Amino acid sequence: MSNTSDNPRAVRLRSALAMLVALVAALAIGACGDDDTVGGGNGGGEAEVAKAGPVRGELTISNWPAYMDTGKENTVAEFEDATGVEVDYVEDVNDNAEFFGKLRPQLERGQSGGRSIFVVTDWMAKQMYDLGYLQELDHDDLTTVFDNILPSLESPSFDPERKFSVPWQSGMTGIMVNEELAPDIRSVNDLFDPKYKGKVTMLSEMRDTVPLVMKADGVDPADADKQDWLDAIEKLREAAESGQIRRFTGNDYNQDMTNENVVAAIGWSGDTSIIENPDVSWRMPAEGCILWSDNMVIPNGAPNTAAALAWMNFVYRPRVQADIAEYVQYVTPVGGVDDVLRQRDPELADNQLIFPDEQFTADCSTQPDPPGSEEDQQEVTEAFQDMITGQG
Amino acid sequence: MRRLRRRLVPYGLLGPGAIWLLLFFAVPMYFMGEMALRSGSLDTGGFTFSWEWANFSDALSGSDEQIVRSFVYAGLATVIALAIAYPLAYAIALRAGRWKLLLLFAVVAPFFTTYLIRTIAWKTILADASPAVDVLQFLQLVPQDGRVLATGGAVVAGLTYNFLPFMILPIYASLERMDVRLIEAAKDLYASSTKAFLKVTLPISAPGIVAGILLTFIPAVGDYVNALLLGGTGQSMVGNVIQSLYLQQRDYPEAAALSFVMMLAILAVVVVYLRVAGTGAFIGDEEEPA
Repeated sequence: MSNTSDNPRAVRLRSALAMLVALVAALAIGACGDDDTVGGGNGGGEAEVAKAGPVRGELTISNWPAYMDTGKENTVAEFEDATGVEVDYVEDVNDNAEFFGKLRPQLERGQSGGRSIFVVTDWMAKQMYDLGYLQELDHDDLTTVFDNILPSLESPSFDPERKFSVPWQSGMTGIMVNEELAPDIRSVNDLFDPKYKGKVTMLSEMRDTVPLVMKADGVDPADADKQDWLDAIEKLREAAESGQIRRFTGNDYNQDMTNENVVAAIGWSGDTSIIENPDVSWRMPAEGCILWSDNMVIPNGAPNTAAALAWMNFVYRPRVQADIAEYVQYVTPVGGVDDVLRQRDPELADNQLIFPDEQFTADCSTQPDPPGSEEDQQEVTEAFQDMITGQG
Repeated sequence: MRRLRRRLVPYGLLGPGAIWLLLFFAVPMYFMGEMALRSGSLDTGGFTFSWEWANFSDALSGSDEQIVRSFVYAGLATVIALAIAYPLAYAIALRAGRWKLLLLFAVVAPFFTTYLIRTIAWKTILADASPAVDVLQFLQLVPQDGRVLATGGAVVAGLTYNFLPFMILPIYASLERMDVRLIEAAKDLYASSTKAFLKVTLPISAPGIVAGILLTFIPAVGDYVNALLLGGTGQSMVGNVIQSLYLQQRDYPEAAALSFVMMLAILAVVVVYLRVAGTGAFIGDEEEPA
């Protein structure tokens, strides 16, 4: 130990220490820069307005899977024929938060990754707008949209003037039930029945699952406070830990329903059309459902906004929308579609899942955000996500 | 001049690899470490650097169960993969004759399909009412009212399946190069088949085994797809926690801190493992039991 400089172990230790010092120094230099804040968007500035103009060129649309009629003569092809625009229709939205997480670095730099339209749910559209990631829409460029939009969707609380969003489809979150295997499930509370242990899934979308659990316990999501959210999450945690709830899923609960791995799930109203099991149907929970819309939005940096606006107008033609509604079987946001469909298939025109009347949705709640400040919302989100990953 | 050149050549040869490591390892590590020490939130002005060491304790508190589970699942998957891969690689390398290429192709062929599709396919194969599960129930390997999907077993099976070729190929490569006359020589010296295997074949294939174990274990620890698709509510691994922190909670500093800790933990395990496996156990010292 007397002559440390020649000891190979000491040399190695020294070089390791030197590297550590270099790393710390580099971190410190990084800390000194002043414009090094990551995230935060550019919410302070004036939002751009999407420009109209000649309709041509290419258009990229990001949408959820199974949200568009298929085949050679589908709506995308029809739009291409009618306008000469070349459409790249991408089904790369699987989860609002995940899609946002993936695109945020680009959005922050005012880029849209080549996309001109995203389809995201109400709360996500609002967050993107608040961060300054979206362009505003001039209603004069969207006459077909605002001539035909259902009155109930004209001024939602998250965007009262429809300044940045146009509904793509609306829907209801309730219970997906296998009528043969679980005929007696009528309320979200029945999903907690030990009889169905391990045969039940719920959605990883917090704003669907938690409010439904609150409703089942007699709490109105519209007046719920933070503690109500945390209590519902605690109820879910117990059910998850006991194995009552098999999984928390996104769209993939469809596969579990098809294969009869689960007999009931919290699910979205339109999905009966993609679940290949005749026994499965969507049920309105006794205590009501959660209502939401997915919206078309135009991000900052979107190329060819003229074609994007033309696309929005195009899908709001009742005849075009009828093709989409017939295939996806969600709640259509366009008026007059029921008349078109009645001529093709009267049964569809009377389908409460596509054209719900006021009585059918009387007990339903609009999809809520957790209440309170940013910190409160963050706390609820964290509690929910920790529950899903099983963290203590 | 010549001396100078001789001294510089090794550095020149190191160049491409060093640049690669710098660009794709050191620089990302720096940004990750720097992100791990930021504070703030995305909705209120973004993340600012502030030496926020608390991110590390926050990230670790509560996720100890997931970290342990990741190492257990990955360890089990590695052991099972080794048990399957070694005999298979041995058979292909030494016994397959003209079928060698075809069998190798059969090992690799499923991997022309993407990782996700293969994992999702297992959901159909292992569905609760599937023939595969019926057989397992008949053999009493799964209880009558039991299931395979959404259990730890399914996650370990998925990990094993997905990383199996990374175990088979290095072992195959090391056995393929082996001079089979060495086994004959051992037998000429009155070694039993078992002894010849332990003294000749196993030591020669040791580098392949070491490489295979590393190539399987490291990606398996960080994997989150298998737990997400084949697991249930109690099977989250650390990858799922990081994904949730990053994409759902948008807490980038905590996600970075947890990733950093996991890298160090894996590094520690690998260093210890290489210290033991790289020099001692597989060389076949004389004091090996007969």
